[in-house]
Amino acid sequence: MTAIFFILLSWGIITAKTRRQMIAVATAGAVAVMLVSPPRVYAQGLWAAIQAVLKVINGIIQTALNSINTVRSAINQFYQLTVWPQQLINQARSLVTQMINQYRAPMAAIFNIPLQSARLASTQQLETLMRNAQTGDFPALGSNYGTVYGALPTTTQASPSERTLIDVDDALAQDTLKTLKESDDADNITLSVADQLENTASRAAPGSAPFLTATAVVASIRTQALTQEMLAAELRQEAAELAHGNTLRKGRATFTSQVSTSIQNTLQPQQ
Amino acid sequence: MVTLMKQAMQTPKNGARWLWAHRLRLAALALLLMLFKPQPVRSQFIDPCCAMLAAGLSTIASTLSGVIGGGLNNILSVDQAISNFQQGVVWPQQLIAEAQALVGTLQKMFTQIESVMKVPVASATLPASQQLEQILLSRNAQQIPNTGANYTAVYGQLPTATQASPQTLNLIDMADAVAQDAMKRAIEIDNLADLELQAADQINQSIQNAAPGSAPIIEAQADAWLVRANAYTQAATADLMRVRAATLADHGADLKTGATNTTSFGQQVQKLLQPQQ
Repeated sequence: MTAIFFILLSWGIITAKTRRQMIAVATAGAVAVMLVSPPRVYAQGLWAAIQAVLKVINGIIQTALNSINTVRSAINQFYQLTVWPQQLINQARSLVTQMINQYRAPMAAIFNIPLQSARLASTQQLETLMRNAQTGDFPALGSNYGTVYGALPTTTQASPSERTLIDVDDALAQDTLKTLKESDDADNITLSVADQLENTASRAAPGSAPFLTATAVVASIRTQALTQEMLAAELRQEAAELAHGNTLRKGRATFTSQVSTSIQNTLQPQQ
Repeated sequence: MVTLMKQAMQTPKNGARWLWAHRLRLAALALLLMLFKPQPVRSQFIDPCCAMLAAGLSTIASTLSGVIGGGLNNILSVDQAISNFQQGVVWPQQLIAEAQALVGTLQKMFTQIESVMKVPVASATLPASQQLEQILLSRNAQQIPNTGANYTAVYGQLPTATQASPQTLNLIDMADAVAQDAMKRAIEIDNLADLELQAADQINQSIQNAAPGSAPIIEAQADAWLVRANAYTQAATADLMRVRAATLADHGADLKTGATNTTSFGQQVQKLLQPQQ
């Protein structure tokens, strides 16, 4: 670009026809060069700019970086010494292990002490069936129950209403005994669940513990549900006992009414 | 050839003549070129301005690597320590995976418990008692309206006003009512327990898929369900206590009726034994 400009300027000066034209072309070229040429950079301005950059680096940026470092160090220290101190985490794990060793075996031993107290053959069998925490022997429970508590009277031995009452009493009593066998079995599994939760807690980290606590709460919901099922069985049984007594009262009332009528009929003078 | 030689001898003379004729223009052009010739590039080593620039840039570079680089390295080492601590101590991936695996193992045990509790326990042998037992063990609250008729089929109806005194009728009706209430509550509680177990399954499933940060939220939900379950247990316990209270009251009423009857019977006997006037 510069070369083309100077070639054109030279050609203009050389080919000018008059002196006046030559002076005009030379002046125009000089003015154009002066207008277009870039300003000269002064060394003093450059040095000041470098000093300004250094001032920013050593001032604001260094202060900011130092502050960030201080805060991050404080956070690190806070995490390691206050929120999750390794020593206390290890101490908590040790406590879990120590409590497992201290309580688990003695409590299991107490819970498994045999309670059987019956002395006769048939009652011993029924007692064993009632307490064995098995759910596959319900028919055996029914037959042993009949052996100990007697069979349903025949139609010639008792009235239909009496037979129905006896049957429902026996049924609800057996229902409860079977439900208890189921809940005993469930109890044993629930105790295993508690053991496994505790074992895992003994090596848990603060980040894995929420899984265990959530699972433990879910297990608590389940045990509540089982307790409710047992309470429902107990409710049925107690209600049946109350209803049984009430049925006898109804019978007495009817019987008294019938006797009273008979006596009145008997004592009335014959006409 | 001679012509060419003459032309060659003539050319420098013509050129000199042309230069002399344009001397003024050439002088002006030379002056312009000298004044506005392009500035030469200044050497990095010789020019004092470039030396100053190089020194400044070198200072900036060393300051950047010292102040900013050093500061950033310090922050990086603290961040690495935090990262190592959090990944190794607070949230170790291996222990999190172990806890999640345990949730799956326990779910299988819970399923086992549920199947144990679902083994049928029905034991009645006669039609009326079988029907009542079926409703009582149905675990279905929709069956509650059918309880009354089946209860009456087994335990009998309320005597008529001619068959029993008003007081006895009240006692019988009250005892039947409390007994039926308890049986209905038992059906409700069984149904609710099934729903709680279903919810527990769902919550357990979500724990298996949870992150350490979301597990406490699920735990909070499970806590809410536990509170709810406790409330239902209390309701069942309350009904149990009502039945027992009614039974106790029933025994008391029997004693009271017996005492009244005995007094009345004594008076009647005294009347009969008195000499006729």
